[in-house]
Parts: sequence; structure tokens; C-alpha cells
Amino acid sequence: MALPSRLLVVVLLASGAIGVAAAFQRSAPPAGVTARAVAAADAFLQTLDDAQRRKANLDFNEQTRVVWSNLPTGIKMQVGAMERNGLKLGAMTPVQERAALALVAATLSADGFRKAMAIVDADQELEVTSAPTRKPGAPIRFGRAEYYVSILGKPSTTEPWMMQFGGHHLAINVTLAGTANVLAPTHTGAQPASYSVGGKLIRPLGDENDRAFELVNALDDAQKKQAILGYEVRNLVLGPGTDGKSIEPEGVRAATFTPAQRATLLALVREWVGILEDQAANAKMKEIESGLSETYFAWAGPTTNGKGAYFRVQGPAVFLEYAPQGAGENNVDHIHTIYREPANDYAARAARR
Amino acid sequence: MKALGAAVLVLLAIGVEVSAHQLDEYLQATRVAIARDRVTLEVDLTPGVTIASAIVEILDANADNIIGPSEAGAYGRAVLSDMVVSFDGHPVVMALEQIEVPTIDAMRHGMGTIHVRATGSIEAHAGRHRLDFVNSHRRDTSVYMVNALVPDDGAVDIVSQSRDAHQREFHLETAVRPGWATLLWFAMGAGLIGVVVVGTKRRTEN
Repeated sequence: MALPSRLLVVVLLASGAIGVAAAFQRSAPPAGVTARAVAAADAFLQTLDDAQRRKANLDFNEQTRVVWSNLPTGIKMQVGAMERNGLKLGAMTPVQERAALALVAATLSADGFRKAMAIVDADQELEVTSAPTRKPGAPIRFGRAEYYVSILGKPSTTEPWMMQFGGHHLAINVTLAGTANVLAPTHTGAQPASYSVGGKLIRPLGDENDRAFELVNALDDAQKKQAILGYEVRNLVLGPGTDGKSIEPEGVRAATFTPAQRATLLALVREWVGILEDQAANAKMKEIESGLSETYFAWAGPTTNGKGAYFRVQGPAVFLEYAPQGAGENNVDHIHTIYREPANDYAARAARR
Repeated sequence: MKALGAAVLVLLAIGVEVSAHQLDEYLQATRVAIARDRVTLEVDLTPGVTIASAIVEILDANADNIIGPSEAGAYGRAVLSDMVVSFDGHPVVMALEQIEVPTIDAMRHGMGTIHVRATGSIEAHAGRHRLDFVNSHRRDTSVYMVNALVPDDGAVDIVSQSRDAHQREFHLETAVRPGWATLLWFAMGAGLIGVVVVGTKRRTEN
């Protein structure tokens, strides 16, 4: 009788300790990524004068968070609307720019930051090639100077706030919500889709393209028949400006996939999810994997890598699209993509809590 | 070739030498939402650089460089008149609910999107239904997209969707689940039949 009693005491004590630890973990400020992002945000804001700070740091609300675009700067798209939130790199001193990019880097993974900057560099390439023939007074501008950084809300380790980094073909929208940081919605794109730096070929969205072709070609005939849509898709279905929409899924369900096909699909999805800092990205990948059987893969266009094809991945925890722009299968030098999280764009789940 | 030549001329004229987006196409992306009592169309219209002037000319009917609400409304209704929606084979009259027009500047650079929202009334009782949508607006220059939105109405399920290769024609099969009132009537009817059967049986036995 003595042994079970002692056991009971031990179990009770252990349960209590676990409970206290869990409660402490909930109330303790999350260390690590978010704290580093807060420090980077504060450091960036400290480099700015008052007028710059008012531009760079706005309220975080339903009106401000949706101000992002895939388009180049220089044109007001809607009457009364802002083009983008924040302060552009071209209006910053070198010290301010370094602090701004340190903030961007603090919210992203190392690979994600590299990808974002490769997109910026592609646009700089576009600026270099297009500027010589630009008509004086033409408003549209490309290039690194036209990328904006903004902070929505007060940087906090517990309350939601947002970091936006965007310009032509890039809209990184990271909502930091304690430990539940969210990348969605985020737009990536590239034009040119490949360029050289010091003799090295850079393809900002090359891995997305290659993994997708790998997956579609790994499907058997029955799966391919389901995956390949019988119509052409010429742009993103849920691109910028379609927040909160959800379309009926189409394509082949990953429930039919072999372990190797599932691994390829996850690697493809990781190309977007992995832009975010590793801790939140890993948690997100687990969530996506748990809903993988309910996830669909759809394809439109040729299946030979090197040709332009549209694809979409849609599941309970993820929605992403990749759409080459323009007509014809040889149009591979101008890409638009979108990454969304159904019911969790802008960390909606954390906001509801 | 002719279109390409025109595209280059227009690009040079406005000073954008790099083709940012579709130049000589009118991109029309439609999202279709269905509920038991209505069909909603959300149409995003993006004219490319080379055809934007023609669209602006129609939109800005009095050529004052301002697109007023009545001009925008007239254009929205003209777009809708080129779209045919039918539900179970019967035409659905789509009424313009909202139109948002971008700046003329944005359109002239091929980067402005006109947003049109229209609704039409239907009566979808429990069972299978078919919705057909055909978009014939500016067929000469347009590229089409059409998708079904996940229904907000929990009683409506999308069973299947199909399109032609150019996404001009769209067919949606839906299923409406019986509501509580229908189920209640069904249960009451079944109960009544039961009472009648039992009563008849007893009378026969007596």
C-alpha cells in the first residue's frame, strides 16, 4: 500500500511541476526570434528622424495591413490609395538601410532573406536594362531603391505586429505574434527570372520551378490526369487584392501520393514556407504535413522543365500559386507567385485568441 | 506581329520599355459565389497597355479625364450585358452591385484593375443544381479566368466544375442540403403516414 501511495505523490508532484512549467511558458516572453525582431525593429526606428519614423511605423489594422502590391512604384493604382506603406530604401542613409535590412533578416530565414534579396537584385537588373531607353518624366521605376520597409504596430514579443518588405514582385508580410509568426500573405515574383552575377547564374524562383516539374513528372498517369487542368491559367487566381477569398480546390489529392511524392510536395511547399524564420517555418510545415492528405496539387501547361507552366498547391493550411506571365509556353522570364494560409493570413488565429 | 508592333509603339510613348504585364490582352478574372438565394460574380478586369486607351475612352465617356460614378456604372452594366448566367437552365438577371475603377494613369500603364461585383437572385431548393456562366465581353482581345469560391452558405456544396480550354465557359454542379424546415416537414409527413398506417391496420384487425 505504501508503494502506490508514494507513486501517487510522485505523479501528483510531476503533474504539478509540468503544469507550472507550462503556465510559466505561456506567460513568459518568447525568447529568440521575436525578441531579436523586436530589437531589430527598435534599432531601425532609432536611426530615423521623426518624419521618417511617422512614415515607417504605422498602426497595425485592417486598413494598413492590406497595403501591398506586386506592381512597380510610380503610379497610384486607386484614387486616394497609398502605393505602399513605409520608407523606401532609396530614401534611407546607408546606416538606416543596413538597419532596415537587418530587421527584414531578423524575421526571415537565411535562405528566405537570400531569396528576397535575389528578387530585389532581379528588379535592379530590370532597372539597369530599362533605364537607358526610359522617356524623361516616366513615372514607373524599378530597382533596389524602390523597395519599402514598414513596421505596423508596436514591436512586441507578445502582441501582434507586422513587418512589411516590398516593391516590384515582392511583398513579404510577416506578422509577428509571440511564437506564432506568420508569413501569409506573401507575394514573390521575378523578372528577369534568371540573371548572372560575376558569372554565376541566379534564379530567384528556380527551386520552386524545378521542384514543381519534378513533382508533376513523378506522378503516375492516373494522378497526372487528375492534376493537369484542361484549361490555360494565365495569372494568379488569388493574387494581391484577394485577401479572404477561398476557391474550390482542383487537381490531384496528395492522399494518393507515394512517400516519395509526398516528400517532393513538402519540399516544394517549403520553398515558400521556408522564407519565414526557421522556428515558425518548422511549426508551419508540421501543420501542413498533418493536413497533407487533404492537400491538392493542380497543374496547367507543359510538363517539360524549361517551359512555362502554372501550378497550385491547396490544402487546409496552405494555398500557393506559381504563374508565368504572358502568353505561350516559352514565357518563363516573368513569374508571379502567392503564398497564403487559409483562415490565418496576417496571423488571424493569434488575433482571435 | 501587328499587335506586337503596336505594343512597342505604345510602350515607347508612355516610357515603359519593359513589358511588365500582358500588353495586348484584356485579362478578365471572374470568381463565382453561389448561395441558396443568389449568385455573385466578382470580376477583375485588367486591360493591357496597348488596349487600355480604348477602355479608358469608353469609361470616360465625356472625355474630361475623370471617371465619374455614372460613367463607371454604365461601363459595369455594359460588361455584365456580355455575360450570361443561367441556373438550372433559366437565365439569371445580374445586377451591378459595385464597381471600383483605378486611376486613368494606372490603366494607361496597363496596371489598373477594374473591380466589378454583381448579384442575381436564384431559388435553390434541396438537391442537385447546375450553374452556367459564359463570358463574351471583348472576345477579340481577352484572356479569361473563372473559379468557384467556396460557398459561404453551409448548405451548399460544390460537386464539380468544368470549363472550356479558354475559361470563357464555366459549368458548376452544386448540391443543396435540406434545411431544418425541410427535415421537420419530412419527419412530420413520415409521422402522419405512420399514424394513418397504424390506424388503418387496427381498424382492419377490429
